[in-house]
Amino acid sequence: MAEQFKMAQPKEYFKKFLENDIRPDNRELGEFRPTVLNIGCVSTAEGSALVKLGNTTVMCGVKAEVAQPDADKPKDGFLVPNVELSALCSPSFRPGPPGEQAQVLSQNMADLLQTSKCINLEDLCICPGKLVWVLHIDLVCLDYDGNVMDACTLALISALKNTSLPAVTVDEDTGDIKTDPTSLSNLPVSCCPVSTSFIIFDHNVLLVDPTNEEERLATGAVTVVVEGENLVSIYKPGGSALTDDQIETCIDRAVERSREASKLIKETLYSIDR
Amino acid sequence: MAAPIGNVVIPGDSFSLMQLKTPDEHKKILLGPGLKEEDTEIKVLRPGILRYRKPGVYWVDCHHKRYVPSKGDSVVGIVNQKVGDMFRVDIGSSEQASLSYLSFEGATKRNRPDVKVGDIVYAKLLVANKDMEPEIVCIDSYGRSSGMGVVRNGGFLFHTSLNLARKLLNPQCVLLKSLGNRFQFEISVGVNGRVWVKAGNDIQTIALVNTVIASEFKDNDQIKEMCKRISKAVSRMEVD
Amino acid sequence: MASFTVVKKEDLDAELEKGPKCVLRGQTSDLGCLTRQDGSVSLSQGDTTSIAVVYGPAEVRINKEKIDRATVEVIYRPKIGLPRPNHRKQERIMRNTLEAAIAANLHPRSSISVVIQETEDLGSNLSCSINSACLALLDAAVSMNFMVASVTVAIKENSDMILDPTKRDETEAKSVLTYVFDSVNYQILTIVSCGKFSRSEHKKGLTLAREAAKSVFQFYRESMSKKLLMSE
Repeated sequence: MAEQFKMAQPKEYFKKFLENDIRPDNRELGEFRPTVLNIGCVSTAEGSALVKLGNTTVMCGVKAEVAQPDADKPKDGFLVPNVELSALCSPSFRPGPPGEQAQVLSQNMADLLQTSKCINLEDLCICPGKLVWVLHIDLVCLDYDGNVMDACTLALISALKNTSLPAVTVDEDTGDIKTDPTSLSNLPVSCCPVSTSFIIFDHNVLLVDPTNEEERLATGAVTVVVEGENLVSIYKPGGSALTDDQIETCIDRAVERSREASKLIKETLYSIDR
Repeated sequence: MAAPIGNVVIPGDSFSLMQLKTPDEHKKILLGPGLKEEDTEIKVLRPGILRYRKPGVYWVDCHHKRYVPSKGDSVVGIVNQKVGDMFRVDIGSSEQASLSYLSFEGATKRNRPDVKVGDIVYAKLLVANKDMEPEIVCIDSYGRSSGMGVVRNGGFLFHTSLNLARKLLNPQCVLLKSLGNRFQFEISVGVNGRVWVKAGNDIQTIALVNTVIASEFKDNDQIKEMCKRISKAVSRMEVD
Repeated sequence: MASFTVVKKEDLDAELEKGPKCVLRGQTSDLGCLTRQDGSVSLSQGDTTSIAVVYGPAEVRINKEKIDRATVEVIYRPKIGLPRPNHRKQERIMRNTLEAAIAANLHPRSSISVVIQETEDLGSNLSCSINSACLALLDAAVSMNFMVASVTVAIKENSDMILDPTKRDETEAKSVLTYVFDSVNYQILTIVSCGKFSRSEHKKGLTLAREAAKSVFQFYRESMSKKLLMSE
């Protein structure tokens, strides 16, 4: 009977749960799904991470290439994040060129890297004006069950923390580039921004870490990215209006989540170092 | 405080039912376009001027260019397609209206009306509902044409804003009367902002179209003055 | 119509000397500036200008049809070059914001499309785009539950706030926040930020922007009154 009720009136079905402050998957309103983090799982990449947020799975790989820097910024390397929501991860995506959501997510990742300044682009310099690193950060969603934004951010930061670049030597005369895979150095990542997404259900209830089902019923969404106590970004693209207090609650929860997530990253990194 | 009748209202404005009830205590209130009842409040949805008419009709008079069908409106449309027994007619709304071949005066299954793709029809809206396709007819409820049907023999069709179309149809507007005193012409005005005119010659047609378009923001005195000038100019041109 | 504005360096310097700015730059609008569209407006906030046009409720492509409400489309055209991913993000922000404002359930199976052409970006461009889109919707008399007003706030390194920043203010600021409010309860519809900031700065910016948004709504009312009373 419950199954039919859910099919016919998904919103009413959901409301019944919310009346008791619980969600259909047995979570509280402010509770994240279990987060699983696996760092360094792709041996062919310079850095990698796999994140599971409940069923949502995102794989991130960092691939390094050398290139010539822009003339106006001779010391700056490049970071090229790209999010792929392929037809593999959900029936709602079609094969072909990236859709709007994937483009917006990629842009969000690029904005996040730029505003948090977690990587100093000058650290990617090999030879000023001639040679810099380009980091292609590919994020592939393997299973789409909502809240890809948070999963992507976590995967991105973990993969960057795992990235180590080989030493490069340039032959002055011939211009040949040689890499030395034996002497790897870790890429310095100065901070650890963590994003927390909420959806607004029925114009006033805030739910953290939404599943795909919840996202479909949402009347709005908020994503707060924090780094320690500081805000990196608040992204609320339209939808239902919120009061100042509700935004404050979101920030509070985001700060709390950031602590949990940073701890998780730290512990995982520590365990692979051993 | 009474409702701001005759004043400009914009979306998001709201007033309580009590404010509206002032003119006639006992009568029912009828809300026209641009107003919505929500709980005990009346909310404004469109920017415009709040109007009131006895015994209790309120509506927002706004400036539109896009036509949204409503029942009973007389419209001018263009036949676009013939599908089985139906014609698809473009009346400027988001969806094309359907027109049955039986809804013409004297039409029967044997005696089909002579309507071709590209014809202009003057018709009335029979069905206008946001969830349904609009349907138009060229007969009244007695089965007579009463002026409706295919508009033939040339002429010129042009578009105006919906306000101008309504202004032309307003009995207080002197434009058509004063033009009629000076020229001989036929005109059909649809409230969907489409106007068809046919005058004696091309010069007159062009003059008429321009006069109609220019009258949008003019009052009656200015319109009379303009008509006088236009007729002089036209007669001069016709002599040349 | 002149589409280019030359900004002299001296003017910019003179403007800078005025110190922290807590008022919006002057706004001007030209409603119905184009004739073929259902609604059009050219809005300038200071020197930032954009043109917005609205078509709708019009016919909808069958694959975008929604049976219970109108499909809202937003297309953003930058001044130079083709739209890029960051413009797609802007489009999405604007579409979601306008979707909340438009009473879309009144026009099922139709499309309401808004096209915004950036003509001059000299700071607070997103705000100008959103405000022009809202005015264009008002000009087209599309049914709306409420209006929206957007205000940008720039935060300097020393936590000073600049309301409605110029391009130069934006590049010098440590972060730029854009807020959108509704016209009924002045609640928050949209927040977009760029650059780090603290919680207290966010709170301060929010209060400042909310006050400024009220003057934007007043500007809408005046613009519409001017247009509507013209035919009286």
